[in-house]
Amino acid sequence: MKWYIYLALKQLFPSGKKISFFSAMSIFGVALGVAVLFVVQSVMEGFQHNIKRMIVDTQGDVHVDRQRIICDGDALVKFLQSFPEVEAAAKYAYGFAMLKRGNQSLFPLIKGIDVAKELRVTGLGKFIKAGNLDNFDCGGIILSSELARSIGATVGECVEIYSPAMLENMNSDEVILPKTLEISAIYETGYHNVDKSVAIVPLDILQDLYGLENGIHGISLKLQTGISPEKFTFQLNDSLDESTHASSWQEMNQDLLFVLKTEKTMIFFILVFILLISAFSIASSLIISVVRKTREIGLLSALGGTKKQCAACFLMQGAIIGIIGSAVGITAATTIVKFRNSIVALFVKLCGVDDFMLKFYSFANMPAKYGVRDIFSVAIFAIGICCIAGMAAAMQVAKINPAEALRNE
Amino acid sequence: MSNCIVEVQNLRKDFNGTSIFRGVNFRIMPRETVSICGNSGSGKTTLVNVLSLLEPPTQGNIFWQNENVTNANSGKISQLRPKIFGYIFQQCNLIPELNVLENLLFPTRIISIIKKSDIEFAKKLLGQVNLCGIEQRNVSTLSGGERQRVAAVRAMINHPKIIIADEPTGNLDVKSADATMDMIMNLCDAHGSSLLLITHNQRFAERMQTSYVLGNASLKKLSDHL
Repeated sequence: MKWYIYLALKQLFPSGKKISFFSAMSIFGVALGVAVLFVVQSVMEGFQHNIKRMIVDTQGDVHVDRQRIICDGDALVKFLQSFPEVEAAAKYAYGFAMLKRGNQSLFPLIKGIDVAKELRVTGLGKFIKAGNLDNFDCGGIILSSELARSIGATVGECVEIYSPAMLENMNSDEVILPKTLEISAIYETGYHNVDKSVAIVPLDILQDLYGLENGIHGISLKLQTGISPEKFTFQLNDSLDESTHASSWQEMNQDLLFVLKTEKTMIFFILVFILLISAFSIASSLIISVVRKTREIGLLSALGGTKKQCAACFLMQGAIIGIIGSAVGITAATTIVKFRNSIVALFVKLCGVDDFMLKFYSFANMPAKYGVRDIFSVAIFAIGICCIAGMAAAMQVAKINPAEALRNE
Repeated sequence: MSNCIVEVQNLRKDFNGTSIFRGVNFRIMPRETVSICGNSGSGKTTLVNVLSLLEPPTQGNIFWQNENVTNANSGKISQLRPKIFGYIFQQCNLIPELNVLENLLFPTRIISIIKKSDIEFAKKLLGQVNLCGIEQRNVSTLSGGERQRVAAVRAMINHPKIIIADEPTGNLDVKSADATMDMIMNLCDAHGSSLLLITHNQRFAERMQTSYVLGNASLKKLSDHL
């Protein structure tokens, strides 16, 4: 072992003691910063992952639509399924309509789907909270959870649907009969925008309501595992005519994804200050140590150490604090992430707000996601900051004249 | 060519335009004991610092084992210095984070890898200064005299050609100072090292074979006790 690494280790962990007070506090500071940064980043990543997964599960990987109604839907589906990257395709149409139950009426977005194909493209089945899809094709309707709650509807009840054309004709003397559909199921994705006000009906009913005949508004695609939706969309658009356009789920939700990414970056930026504060405290402690050990630095030169080696001794102290602090911090953080649900449950129990937290934030199942890359990036960042702190002290050492240092009182 | 260990020729050191010393010529031969006396601030420590190139001279030449090292690069100086000089300071300068044995072996660690023979040599030296069994003790638990003896042993660890003792007894009472001086001289004698003693103490200076006095920016040979 190089002498300056040996001395750096000894100055942090002196002989006869397990650890010096300075080392303990410095390592604790770095570990705390790393742990907080890592836990928050993991939870943010978990939330992002869940939201992205939910978007894909509700929307599919790629959407293909046209500036006007697609009349040759079957031919387009056949064309799209000719791509080996496409696992499944499902036609859809949508529009706003008045949904009425008793005296209560709302204007949700109504989506028409071919349920058998839709189930192959999206994860609709796993979001069903009540009822089932068995009789959906025979005049059924699926309501989003908040929509059902708003009108007080439950599975098995009937609701009436008025299309915009029907509402327009109400002014005339003609009697307009609404479409009556039985609620087959209620679904909940956990994504407020989807759960708020969406109803799903069989595609033929929506086509009938809107007078689309065989027309559709678009086709959802599910891609084979491992295929990038963005890359495939780029390739697909080259094969489609000018009026038809394919969009990946990332493109359709770019605003949301941008917000999520910005949020994560901002939180990272804010939390980095914890590490910076640790680094400043390490730098100031090391610089004080340099002043206190001026004679010792002169001695090292007299014993054959070069200025660079003496400086390296202090740089190494910063690096060692960073390495140990990161290791301790990441160990603590991964433990916290592993037991996060128990910790959150305990916390909400102590605060007595469990219902509120569970209802609005789903904290009973706090998401978290991290990979080896996350561990390394946080650790390398922390070690880098600590090395800079050590560098500040090392630069002070490099300025010291050995002869003057030996005279230092 | 002489076999002197160090030699300085026409050495001069200025600081802020004032000469601390000038025209200094002297040499130290193998096993020779030399003292440099002088008032406080006369430049004794500066002279030995320049001699060992811890600071550069303003003018003149410095030879280590007949090699002119005045303008040698810092890497070469750092390599050569611990093989030629061992230092004993007034304030011991032991490293508080290391125990006694680690302090003793530290100069060896700087220039090479520690071998079992180095550890045995360190223990043997400790025995020679009556400090057997304190290898694992923390240096902060040692008395002033013990620390000075450990510092003396550390100076010998790399078998240097010359021990530079810069007022090694300055912090000790008369009895301890005598004992420490005897110990340093015995160690140098036993291991064949020369001794360059910087001191105020005329009594100790007279025990050296050659005595110089530094004053009025010049070095004068006071006596040759050979």
